[in-house]
Amino acid sequence: MNKKIKFNTKNLDLYYGDFQALKSINLEIYEKEVTAFIGPSGCGKSTFLRCLNRMNDLIDSVKIEGEIIFEGQDINGDIDVINLRTRVGMVFQKPNPFPMSIYENIAYGPKCQGVKDKTQLDTLVKESLVKAALWEEVKDRLNKSALGLSGGQQQRLCIARAIAMQPEVILMDEPTSALDPIATAKIEDLMSKLKKDYTIIIVTHSMQQAGRISDKTAFFLMGEVVEFNETPVIFTNPADKRTEDYITGRFG
Amino acid sequence: MGRKMKDVLAKSIIYLATGITLCVLLFIVGFIFVKGISLVNWDFLTRDYNEKVFYAFVQEEVVPMTIDAASLSQKDPYDKRYESSLEGPIYIENIGAAVSKVAYKNNATEKEQFVFSYIEKDSPLLSATDSTGKKLSIGTDYILESINGTDFEGLSLEDVAAQINHETGELKIKVVQPGGGVRSNIITTLYMVLVSLLIALPLGIFGAIYLTEYAKPGRLVNIIRFAAECLAGIPSIIFGLFGMAFFVVALKFQISLLSGSLTVAIILLPVIIRSTEEALKTVPTAFREGSLALGATKLQTIFKVVLPCAVPGIATAVLLSIGRVVGESAALLFTAGTVAQIPGTLFSPGSTLTVQAYYVAKEEGNIELACAIGIVIIVIVIVLNILSRITSDKLNVFNKK
Ligand SMILES: Nc1ncnc2c1ncn2[C@@H]1O[C@H](COP(=O)(O)OP(=O)(O)O)[C@@H](O)[C@H]1O
Ligand SMILES: [Mg+2]
Repeated sequence: MNKKIKFNTKNLDLYYGDFQALKSINLEIYEKEVTAFIGPSGCGKSTFLRCLNRMNDLIDSVKIEGEIIFEGQDINGDIDVINLRTRVGMVFQKPNPFPMSIYENIAYGPKCQGVKDKTQLDTLVKESLVKAALWEEVKDRLNKSALGLSGGQQQRLCIARAIAMQPEVILMDEPTSALDPIATAKIEDLMSKLKKDYTIIIVTHSMQQAGRISDKTAFFLMGEVVEFNETPVIFTNPADKRTEDYITGRFG
Repeated sequence: MGRKMKDVLAKSIIYLATGITLCVLLFIVGFIFVKGISLVNWDFLTRDYNEKVFYAFVQEEVVPMTIDAASLSQKDPYDKRYESSLEGPIYIENIGAAVSKVAYKNNATEKEQFVFSYIEKDSPLLSATDSTGKKLSIGTDYILESINGTDFEGLSLEDVAAQINHETGELKIKVVQPGGGVRSNIITTLYMVLVSLLIALPLGIFGAIYLTEYAKPGRLVNIIRFAAECLAGIPSIIFGLFGMAFFVVALKFQISLLSGSLTVAIILLPVIIRSTEEALKTVPTAFREGSLALGATKLQTIFKVVLPCAVPGIATAVLLSIGRVVGESAALLFTAGTVAQIPGTLFSPGSTLTVQAYYVAKEEGNIELACAIGIVIIVIVIVLNILSRITSDKLNVFNKK
C-alpha cells in the first residue's frame, strides 16, 4: 500500500493558557482512509482534531507550537483559513443543523463561497444528500426546516452539508455519541462508503466502533499519542502496555 | 404570639399587598376609561386638534328635503360635549342642508354659532371645492360662519336661513371644521416610533454585535456596558434638555420630528443593545462553529446564522422600544414640541399623544380629553404589542418545523 500522506504533525504542542493539552504529537494521516482517535475522555482527541481545521482559533487562550503539514503546507503559518476549512470539513458531536430549511442547510456553504447559480446549487444539494444516504428520506421536504429531522437524520444532514463543500478531508468528533444504535449503524455504513472519496478522521469513545470502521487507530492518553498503527494491530497486538490496558478495559 | 398567628399575619400582609397593587392598577385604568371613554369616537380619532377654517365654493342648486320634519328635528349630530341646541334645525333648500343654532362652550366662554345638522345626499355642499378647484368635504356639525361675505354673527336662525336662500349662483361659504381630535397626534406618534427605531435599531444591533462577537472581553467592553447601563438609568427629562441644547440649538434641527426622534433614539439605545446582546448570547456556539467549519467568514456567520436566530430577542427589543417611544413625554416636550399637527417633513414639529395629553391637561385643564387620549395610547400600545409578537413568531426560525 502506497498511500499519500494528507496530514502530518511534527512535535505539536498545544496549550490552553498554562495547561498543556497536547504534548509533542507526531502523526501521519493517510489519504482515503479512516483514521480513528481513541482514548479516555479529556486526553486531547477533540483538541487535536480541531487543530486540523484551525477551529481552535476561536479560543483565545490557545497557543500552538510545532507544525501541522497539510498537503505540504504548514497550516499554522500564513495560510487562508477559509480555504483550509473548505478543504477540511467537520462534523460535530451534537448534530448542529442550522435553523433553516434542509435545502438551505446544504446550500449554505457553497453560497458562502459565492455560488449563486440555482441549477448548480440544486445538483449540489441533491448529490450531497445522495452521498450522505439521506436523499430518499428528505427529497419531498427539502424546504422544510432541518430541525424537524430526527437526530440521526440531522447528523447525516451535517455530513451532507460538509460533503457539499467537496472537501478532501472530513473530521468527525464523536459523530454518533448522541445517536441511537440504528442511527449509529447507518452513519458507520456511510463512513465506509465515503472513505473511497474522502480522507476521514474520526474521534470515538467506542473501541468497537473504531475497530469496525477504521483503517488506522491512534491511542491518545493525557495529551500524548501512545500508539499509532493499523487498527487490527492496535486491537490484537498492541505494543504498549497502556494501550493494551485501555483496549482490554482495564481503565478509562 | 404563637407561630400560627405569625404565619397568618405574614400571609395576610402578603395578600393585602397584592390586593392593594391590583386595586391601584384597576383603579387607574378604570379611572382613565370612565373619565375618557365618552369622548372617544370616530370624529375624535379622525379630526385634528385645531379647528380648520376654510372657504368653500358651492354651486347653488335647489334640493328638496327627502325626510319629514319630525325626523329632521331628531338630527343633532353636533358635539354634546361642547354644544347645546338653541334653535332649529331649519332646512335650507338651495344648499340642500339643514342648519341649527347651538351654543358652544369651552371652559368659561360660551359662543353662539350655526352648524350643519343634516345634509341631503344630492346636496351641492357635497361637491364643494376650494378656490383652486380641489374638492373639499363638508360634514354635519361643521360650523357655518358667513356666506358671500355676510357674517352670521348675532343673527337669528331664520335670518341666516333667509340669507342663504336669498343667494344665487356660486356661493362662497366660510366653514369651520371643528377640532378636538387627535388624528395628528396619532400620526406624529407613529412617525416618531418609525423614525426613532430606524435610527436606534441599526445602531443598537451593530453595537450589540460588536460587544458579543468582536470585542475581546476586557476593560473597554466593561466601560461600554457600564455606559449603556448608566444611560438607561438617566431620567428622560435630562435627555430632553440635552436634545434641546444639542439637536435643536447646536445642530439647528429646530424643534422637530428629527430632533425628537434622535433624542428618543438615544433613550432606546441601551434597551436595544441590552436585549440584542442577550439574544445573541443565547445563540448556541454550535451554530457559529458549524458555520465557520463550512468555510464561512465571521461576517457571513453573524448575518446568515447568528442574527436570524436572535430575531425573537430583537423583536422584544423593538417591542420595549415602541412602548418607550409611545410613552415618552418629557424628552419630547422640548425637542418635538407641542404643536398638534402632522409633521410635513423631518424638520417640522408635532406633538405625540402623550405630549398632547400633558398639554391639554396642563394648558387647558381638560382632564377628560387627556383621559380620552390616554385610552388611545393604551390601545395603540396593545395593538403594537400584538403586532410585533405576531411578526416575531413569524420570523422565529426555531418555530418552523
Ligand atoms: N476551551 C478550553 N479551555 C481550557 N481547557 C480546555 C478547553 N477545551 C478542552 N480543554 C482541556 O483540554 C483537555 C483535552 O480536552 P479534549 O480535547 O476536549 O478531550 P477529549 O476530546 O479527548 O475528551 C481536557 O483536559 C480539557 O479540560
Ligand atoms: Mg471530545
